[in-house]
Amino acid sequence: MDGTLNLVGYGLSAIGPAIATGMIFAAYISGVARQPEARSVLQPIAFLGFALAEALALFGLVLAFVL
Amino acid sequence: MSQIAAPAGPGYEPPSTADFNLPPVFGDSLYTTKPVLLVLLSIVVISIFFIIASRKAAVVPSKLQFSGEMVYGFVRNNIGQEIIGHEFMRFVPFLFTLFTFVLVNNIFGIVPLLQFPAMSHVAFPYVLALFTFVIFHWVGIKKQGLGKYLKGIAFMPDVPKAVYILLTPIEIATFFLVRPLTLSLRLFANMFAGHLLLLVFITGGDYMIHDTNLFMKILAPFSFAMGIGMTFFELMVQCLQAYIITLLTALFIAGALADEH
Amino acid sequence: MPKTPKLPGRSDDKGINNGGGRFGAGNEEGAAWSIFGYIISGLLIWGGIGYGLDRWLGTSFIVLIGLLLGAGSGIYLVWLRFVKN
Repeated sequence: MDGTLNLVGYGLSAIGPAIATGMIFAAYISGVARQPEARSVLQPIAFLGFALAEALALFGLVLAFVL
Repeated sequence: MSQIAAPAGPGYEPPSTADFNLPPVFGDSLYTTKPVLLVLLSIVVISIFFIIASRKAAVVPSKLQFSGEMVYGFVRNNIGQEIIGHEFMRFVPFLFTLFTFVLVNNIFGIVPLLQFPAMSHVAFPYVLALFTFVIFHWVGIKKQGLGKYLKGIAFMPDVPKAVYILLTPIEIATFFLVRPLTLSLRLFANMFAGHLLLLVFITGGDYMIHDTNLFMKILAPFSFAMGIGMTFFELMVQCLQAYIITLLTALFIAGALADEH
Repeated sequence: MPKTPKLPGRSDDKGINNGGGRFGAGNEEGAAWSIFGYIISGLLIWGGIGYGLDRWLGTSFIVLIGLLLGAGSGIYLVWLRFVKN
C-alpha cells in the first residue's frame, strides 16, 4: 500500500462534517414536516449551518493536499 | 500493493483504474472500445424504444406507450415545469435526451453481459457538462444581454464596493469552472466508484473460492452475496444520478433565465 | 408551443428565499450544491493565490491566510445569496 498519511487524516476529519450535515438536514426536514409554513424561517438557518459544516470539510481536504 | 491483501501464492490483485481501460472489441482502432460501442447501443435502444412507444399513440395507452409517457411526463412535469417555470417547453427535448441517455448508459453497468457504465470514463460526463454549460450561458446571454448577464453573475447587489475584490473572483470561478466540473465529476465519481465496488466483491469472491484455504472457501459466498446486494444498490444510485444531473441542468437554466432584482 | 395545464399541488410562490432568483424555485437540492460550489471555489481561488504568493516569496504562511479568507468570503457569499432578505 502506498499513499500519504495526510489523506487518512482527511478521512478522519471528514467524519465530523458528514455527521453535522446529516443532522442539520434531518432537523430541517423534520421541522418542515411538522410545520410546513416554517420553511421560509428554517431554510436560511439550515443553509448557513450546512455552509459552515461544508467549509470545515473542504478546509480539511485542501489542508490535506497543502501541508 | 498486495502485501496486505494477499496471504500467499499468486496473490489477490485488487481491481484498479487499469480495469477501466478496456481493449478494442475488434480491430486496433480506439473508436471500437466497449464504452464507445455501449454509447452507440444506448442511442439505438433509446431511439427504438421511444419510436415504438409513440408510434401508435392511442387514447387508451398500451403498456409500452404508458411506460414511455411515464418517463417523458416525469422529465417534463417534475423536472421541467417544476424548476424552470413557464418557459420550460423549449428545454424539455434537451432535458429528456440528457435524462434518458444518462439513465440507459448507467443501467448498462448492471445489465448482464454488458456490465460497464460508460459514464465511468470521465470524458463522457465532461461532454454532457459542456452541453449544459453552453446552453445555460447561451440562454442567459440571449435573455438578458451579454453585459447585464455577466454583471449579474459577477457583482452581487447591495454590497460595499471593497468587498467585490473578495467576492467577484469566487462568483466567476463558481459559474464558469466549478459548476460544470462538479456536474460532470459527480456523475463520473458515482459510476466509477460503483463499478469498482462491484469489481472488488465479484473478483474477490472468485479469488476466495479458488483459494486452497477452507476458511476462505466458506467466506466466498458472502462476497458474492454482497456483490448481488451492491448491484441493487447500484441500480438505485444509477437512477438517482441520472435524475440529479438533469435536475441540476434544469436549475442552472432556471437560474440563467431568472431576472436579477 | 403547447400549453400544459398547471399541476395540482404546485404553487408558483412557495414563499421561500430562492437565492436572488438564480437557483430555481427554492429547490433545496440545487441550493445545497451551489453552496458547495461557492465554498470550494472560494477556497480554491484565495488558497491558490496564497499558494502562489508563498511560492513567489518563499514563505509558508500566506496560503493559510488565503484559505481562511476564501472560506470566510465563501460563507459571506452564501449568507448574501441565501440568508439575507
